[in-house]
Amino acid sequence: MDIRAYIQSGIIEQYVLGLADAGESAELEQLRAQYPELNEAILDFEESLEKIALNNAIQPPSFIKSALEKQLFQAETKTIAVVEKTFTDQQQPATVYNTGLWKYLAAASIILLVASTALNFYFYSGYKNSTQQYEALLSERNTLQANNVLYQQGLQMFQDSLMMHIPMPPLPGREQNFATVLWDQKSKSVYIYTANMQHVPKGKQYQLWAIVDGKPVSAGMIDSDCAGVCKLAAIDHAEAFAITLEKEGGSPTPTLTEMYVLGKIKA
Amino acid sequence: MPETPSYKETELVLLLKQRTQTAFSYLYDNYSAALYGVVVSIVQDRELANDVLQEVFIKIWRQIDQYNPEKGKLYTWLINISRNASIDTLRSKSYNEQKQNQSLNPGVYTAAGTINIETDKIGIRKIIQNLKEEYKVLIELAYFQGYTQDEISKMLNIPLGTVKTRLRNALIQLREYLKR
Repeated sequence: MDIRAYIQSGIIEQYVLGLADAGESAELEQLRAQYPELNEAILDFEESLEKIALNNAIQPPSFIKSALEKQLFQAETKTIAVVEKTFTDQQQPATVYNTGLWKYLAAASIILLVASTALNFYFYSGYKNSTQQYEALLSERNTLQANNVLYQQGLQMFQDSLMMHIPMPPLPGREQNFATVLWDQKSKSVYIYTANMQHVPKGKQYQLWAIVDGKPVSAGMIDSDCAGVCKLAAIDHAEAFAITLEKEGGSPTPTLTEMYVLGKIKA
Repeated sequence: MPETPSYKETELVLLLKQRTQTAFSYLYDNYSAALYGVVVSIVQDRELANDVLQEVFIKIWRQIDQYNPEKGKLYTWLINISRNASIDTLRSKSYNEQKQNQSLNPGVYTAAGTINIETDKIGIRKIIQNLKEEYKVLIELAYFQGYTQDEISKMLNIPLGTVKTRLRNALIQLREYLKR
């Protein structure tokens, strides 16, 4: 390698001034370890640059040093504190600089940002609350509307002339209960209206029985969430209907001690 | 003019790494004026230079551990930090918007009247006044405005190879002027 030509090529100046790319810099750093004359030339140019800087030195305004000392030795952590500190330094009339305006603006924009963030939070939580309330109301309205439809259907069934009404009065000891079977004489579908039955304990369920030729036949389980009139099994013919309290899911034969209501069909 | 430093660079670096206020004070007293000169010559605005100089010293303070004496003298490192901070400020969006095309547009440079006369007389910017126009523009764009050679090639519509040779030649000439 012709190191003299390399030294003269301008690469040293490019490197020292920070204008060389990574590849050029790496090459130069490797070569300077091998060639002392290259190293000398680099130091030479660095020194002339240093001389230029010293010959063209300008004394900076005195507030800068104290501002820096405050920033570096008193408030390492918070940038906001730094902004404030730098600003107080400039309150002496002799050192009023335009930079103060920027500090002001920076401080003001930070305050605005914080305020606007807080407001955003406030409005957002308000918005969230309203949305939740609105959704709650909406679902309540849907439930009411669905129930209303059921009651309407129930009412119509009560008025249907083909619908046989079988009132089921309570058995002794079950006086608070009353239910009604609606029996469609055309389709033979059985509907039950249990709004006046006692609340079902957990793990239990009401079961409707049709008494056919003296024997009980299950006419279906009554869901605890049955509101209004609920459709159960179809029963061809029966002499009576009864409701017993059974374990959840029902029993093959009724527990007679747990019979609540019984309605006989008038012949 | 700063006083002649009584610490050698290596000693000062060791002191700075200990992060004492005394070391900072020494660094500031001995180097701030030279670095302020570098900053002013690049940003060409005293008030802006005040902000940049503060940034420069904060960077020096935080990055002193990254300084590698094998790659150059402390002074060179300090000057390069000053130059980079100045260019970053010039190129920062807010400043661009504020100043628009006043000093960043290479075309404006050739219209000598728009350049701050005082800062034209500082440091390397003063020296490059002696160079050929095509060299002057290259150093202005590369050194003072921080454009890469690739960007310069596109801006001036000159092949990248030509930019590379021309910049090297410009720097060789610059060195000759520096030696005088």
